Amino acid sequence: MSPLISITHIVILVIMITAAFLAVVLRDLLSSVIALAAASLLLALEYYLLHAPDVAIAEAGIGAALTMAIYIFAIRATKK
Amino acid sequence: MKKPVFFIAFIFFLAFMVLAAIGMRPFGEPSISNMDDYFIENAQAETAANNVVTTIVFDYRGFDTLGEGTVLFTAVVGIVALFREVAK
Amino acid sequence: MIGGMSRIVRTMTTLIFGFILVYGFYVIAHGHISPGGGFQGGAIVASAFALLLVTYGTDQIQSYLSKDLLSILESTGLVLFITFAFLGLGATFFYNFVSNSGGLFGSPTTIGVNPGDLNTGGTIALMNMAVGLEVLAALGVIVLTMSVAAETIQKKEKQ
Repeated sequence: MSPLISITHIVILVIMITAAFLAVVLRDLLSSVIALAAASLLLALEYYLLHAPDVAIAEAGIGAALTMAIYIFAIRATKK
Repeated sequence: MKKPVFFIAFIFFLAFMVLAAIGMRPFGEPSISNMDDYFIENAQAETAANNVVTTIVFDYRGFDTLGEGTVLFTAVVGIVALFREVAK
Repeated sequence: MIGGMSRIVRTMTTLIFGFILVYGFYVIAHGHISPGGGFQGGAIVASAFALLLVTYGTDQIQSYLSKDLLSILESTGLVLFITFAFLGLGATFFYNFVSNSGGLFGSPTTIGVNPGDLNTGGTIALMNMAVGLEVLAALGVIVLTMSVAAETIQKKEKQ
């Protein structure tokens, strides 16, 4: 693997861990859900860099979009 | 009282993870690859589709996809049954 | 928030919704020659439905997305999939009886790296469409049911 690709991998993983940490720490529920979706999208990018485009499309569709929509419905059903 | 237990468990977990990471094979070199080589060489001629991943999912390992569809159907039945009182 | 989101989000949704639908059906139809397939394309189409429900709220969308119609589509997709599997029983279950036979989806493909032809793949292309129909309907039913339940609970708490 060329060094540029390795640096890209490391940067993506570091941002992913940061986003997951933010999803736990943030107090606002909607911001937390958006941080979770960002981690999921970065995971899809990582799958694409590892030459698995099928898994990347499934992860972006289900992990980022549908899970986030269901979380937003759950937040709508709760009181502030 | 609780904290040393958690700390020791964390050390053990971390040690196992580091050992597994050290003993990992290089990326893209599985130990046994007979099946992979067969699929890559013969999938296009046998099933006339270019995407070998789809070939495996829908042709060679069709039962897997049938089970996945059944799981999805069961999930939908469960969710509709769970919310039928609320959404009335 | 009960009637949907702001005007900016609504305008962007009306602009982008058709493109997401076309991309999802493209991924389903080209599942045997490019990355993707029935499951992935169905998930993309269902995410378009989810975008519509999140943006506009349930009350305006329920007249377009019917739960009964989606249930029928889901069962149809699964039955079509099992039917294609059973039709191969001349040789084995899940036998690809259409490929290399010369009919619809039956022409042979070039060996090696090539851009591909849509008229190949045999039952793989047909099963892709069946599974795509099933997945988009199933995930659509899940999202629609949860959205209706959330709005109902919110209305009850407001009273």
